[in-house]
Amino acid sequence: MKVSLEWIKEYVEVNLPLSALIDKLNMIGLMVEDWEERDGDVILDIETYANRPDTLGHLGIARELAVGLGLTLKERDWPLTTSPEKTSDLVDIKILDADLCSRYCGIIVRNIKVEPSPEWLRRKIDAMDINSVNNVVDVTNYVLLSTAHPIHAFDLAKIEGKRIVIRKAQKGETLRTLEGKDVPLSPGMLVIADKKRPVALAGIMGGEESAVSETTQDVFIESAWFNPVSVRKTCKETGIQTDASYRFEREADLAFPPRAALMAASLLTQLGGKATEGIIDVYPRPKKSIKIVLRHHRIVELLGMDIDENFVQVTLLNLGFNVDVQQSGTWQVSVPLFRVDVQREADLIEEAARFYGYDKVPSTIPPLSVPELSQDKKKERVNTVRQLLFHNGFDEVINFSFSDPDKETVFLSQQKEITIRNPVSMKASRLRTSLLGGLLENISWNKNRGAEGVHIFEIGNAYFWYDKNVHEELMLSLATTGLIGQLHWQEKSEEINFFHLKGACEFLMNFLKYRPFSFQEEDHDYFEKGYSLALIYKGEKVGYIGVIKDKILDVYSLDEVVCAAEISLAKLFSKQPQSFQYTQVTKFPSVSRDISILTDRSVLYQDIKNEIEGLSIPFLEKYELYDRFSGSTIPEDKVSLSFRFVFRHSQRTLLAKEVDVLQDKIIKKLKSSFNIQLRKRGEIDK
Amino acid sequence: MLDMKNFKARIEEYQRNFDSAFRKVKNGKSLQELRNTYLSRKRGYLTLLFKELKTLKHEEKPEAGMMINNLKIYIEEKLQSLEDKYRVAEKAVKKTDFTLPGIQRYWGAPHPLRLFQEEIENIFLSMGYSIEEGPEIETDYYNFEALNFPPHHPARDDWDTLYLTDDLLLRTHTSPVQIRIMEKRKPPIKIIIPGKVFRRETSDPTHLPMFYQVEGLVVDKGITFAHLKGTLEYFLKALFSEKIKIKFRPSFFPFTEPSAEVDIGCTVCEGKDKECRVCGGSGWKELLGAGMVDPQVFKNVNIDPEIYSGFAFGLGIERAAMFAYHINDMRFFYENDLRFIRQFVLK
Repeated sequence: MKVSLEWIKEYVEVNLPLSALIDKLNMIGLMVEDWEERDGDVILDIETYANRPDTLGHLGIARELAVGLGLTLKERDWPLTTSPEKTSDLVDIKILDADLCSRYCGIIVRNIKVEPSPEWLRRKIDAMDINSVNNVVDVTNYVLLSTAHPIHAFDLAKIEGKRIVIRKAQKGETLRTLEGKDVPLSPGMLVIADKKRPVALAGIMGGEESAVSETTQDVFIESAWFNPVSVRKTCKETGIQTDASYRFEREADLAFPPRAALMAASLLTQLGGKATEGIIDVYPRPKKSIKIVLRHHRIVELLGMDIDENFVQVTLLNLGFNVDVQQSGTWQVSVPLFRVDVQREADLIEEAARFYGYDKVPSTIPPLSVPELSQDKKKERVNTVRQLLFHNGFDEVINFSFSDPDKETVFLSQQKEITIRNPVSMKASRLRTSLLGGLLENISWNKNRGAEGVHIFEIGNAYFWYDKNVHEELMLSLATTGLIGQLHWQEKSEEINFFHLKGACEFLMNFLKYRPFSFQEEDHDYFEKGYSLALIYKGEKVGYIGVIKDKILDVYSLDEVVCAAEISLAKLFSKQPQSFQYTQVTKFPSVSRDISILTDRSVLYQDIKNEIEGLSIPFLEKYELYDRFSGSTIPEDKVSLSFRFVFRHSQRTLLAKEVDVLQDKIIKKLKSSFNIQLRKRGEIDK
Repeated sequence: MLDMKNFKARIEEYQRNFDSAFRKVKNGKSLQELRNTYLSRKRGYLTLLFKELKTLKHEEKPEAGMMINNLKIYIEEKLQSLEDKYRVAEKAVKKTDFTLPGIQRYWGAPHPLRLFQEEIENIFLSMGYSIEEGPEIETDYYNFEALNFPPHHPARDDWDTLYLTDDLLLRTHTSPVQIRIMEKRKPPIKIIIPGKVFRRETSDPTHLPMFYQVEGLVVDKGITFAHLKGTLEYFLKALFSEKIKIKFRPSFFPFTEPSAEVDIGCTVCEGKDKECRVCGGSGWKELLGAGMVDPQVFKNVNIDPEIYSGFAFGLGIERAAMFAYHINDMRFFYENDLRFIRQFVLK
């Protein structure tokens, strides 16, 4: 809200240096966001709050300032030059919906010459960056900016039947705006109508047909109270917002309409008009002010600081509250109707604190208490995942949760995506169903800026409809392309490949103790056919890993191979990891056996692994595939695999004979399941 | 059979021979040869001499042994005196250049927002808070109504909202999690809630349609505004610096009463630069919203405001990180340029 210091001074004698004034305003909660000196005046831009419509005018700001500085708020008189005609003889006002219009006041000013405003008025209107229109319109704006109460001036001659009816619009009615546009009105909207038709959208704007113009002689001044929700709904529906509606939808002062009408009439008579006798005031159900009991000890309990009883009382009185001492330390406070924000004791305590000064509140730390501890292990696990991935050379990224439907479609599998109703742009009009789109975007960004390798991950939610419910699923996505590490004189740098990524996933699963886990060949929408695996834990597919489809790479303008994985941490974390049990380190030595086999290329490693593990060989501590070989010494459809098996007994040294038996068992099983041949020193065993 | 006299003569002869050979040593190689001649563990003269000890009479052995030892020490000391001169100097000629770059394992970097979030979390964890989370897609009830935003109230305009349906929206703050926790837990409650929030905003250097917040909530008997002040002062000093200036001023949030805005003193210009890019010349930077939990919010979760009180606060992580590192464009956090991210590996 723009505030002119000169204007403020009409209400309160402020004589502070500007910086001290700004500090004071800030410390009582009126944040000065900006200010400028203009024509000997100072224009402040003050942040106002949605619950304080009373500060949307100079009077309200001045009232706060007066209390803050211990000064007196000056009241101005609004004398009228009246004609003997009675207002009520000239116009008839009827409220048909008292819920939506609780009060309606009117007065007429006759023989007005509509012309440019006098200098003093222009200056005020200009200071507020509002266009000066003519003396009548400027007066209505002056009243609004002074008091925060919006009023409206009609050309009396254009009000048919000299009747003002406040009613809901009827189907098919329209109102022509000042810009000449016909706004269709719907039956819920409150309008001001004359005998025949709506002449104004209540609390929002007047129509063109009844507007004050150069030919206007007599003006009907409306000063009313309209229901905030009704005004707001109509604004939303019509898309029209005005300075008046901004104030009405925050709730205007129900006590103020007669005074605003008087003020406008007084100003217009000063400009040469003559007011009619008496303000019509239709106020069917006068509202009583709220009464709140304020206990002094509650101030101490809530603020952790004592505020002198007298200070509390004086502050509230000066702010316009009525304060009755009920007994020592207890007041009954009546709230003026312009303070729509004050309804409870806590609201009054804030008033006391605000003017006493937040800076006077001491700083202490709450005493120790024993709150219930969170049982959620998710955060901890997510953190472990991150650390493991850093260790594997993956950088962390965070992308927006939005997605671009043009691009996201390549990631749509079975999920039903969630659309934002009122997106900022089409490119961010959906919620992502996969994190991979963002990662590919990041790869593209970094590649375009010279990165040779990009290895990144993101942990965050994917979103989709699940039945009729929205579903957020915590995902981990990884994507990797190009060189890993830096060039080094001793080590050669490596091109990332699928097995780096798979290794990172295996590393993760092992460290988090989600084992045994397995991979299974499975096609997936994100990946090239035949180049993807499903990650399986406890019988459920928890993720996919593979080589991103060329078609998808094209969408992100990428031309290098990108390997990627997406693992549902939500699914994984819902399952129990292997429980941890300490085992004593044994002092007995292990026995290693190397076995090289020749197998058909079509046999999958995962299947061999499953067979070996299915045997549950005793004392088998671990086994590793340490060589894989194909070439001229081996038939084309075959591949040589070399395993090292490590056996160990925890209580004694194993005998060679015992290990021979176990080794034979493995070989026998592999022979029967996969038709393998043994290789010894390059010789192929029959 | 060796007798003692004989033995002594041998020792003396060895010493003489060694002395003359020692004088002829010209380089590391001859030094090493001399060492081998006398001290080699297999065929060195002294080694052989030790082996001969057993042919002496029992009572002569200790004295003889001591003589060999003395000679050994004498020879070792002599040899050592030339060691530096020849051996080290010659070794240096063939030595690998140890100043060549070492092998650095490639280590991934955390996103700076996460790093900063962790810093914030650690401060509160050290004060006995626990960390809670909640859904990013919320209902109107949790995001607004339960937090004392009446339907159709203009206060909602300050939280520009992205809607999914009439009732579902992307949460505009982490505050709905306050409600969710208070619904299922009895005080004392002492939590922080980090998370993503969404606003209907176009990206620019100081606004984003999605950003991170950390919310705090403490509910117990006897919690006061002074506790809020003390807690936030401690937190901000721990996060930024002991010297940071902090100012509380009145503000408005529907879910707190009284409400406060917390400003911190600009560390870039200290209020001296009218054109300061960080504080805009005011010397202060608005950083947190805070206040005492509104009695209506307590009523909505069946906590009696006459018995319990509490405070809550909220902080934008990007804003705080920008302030801490003097980053002047919020969008940098979401470009995910690795040159930006990797700077923060080790701060």
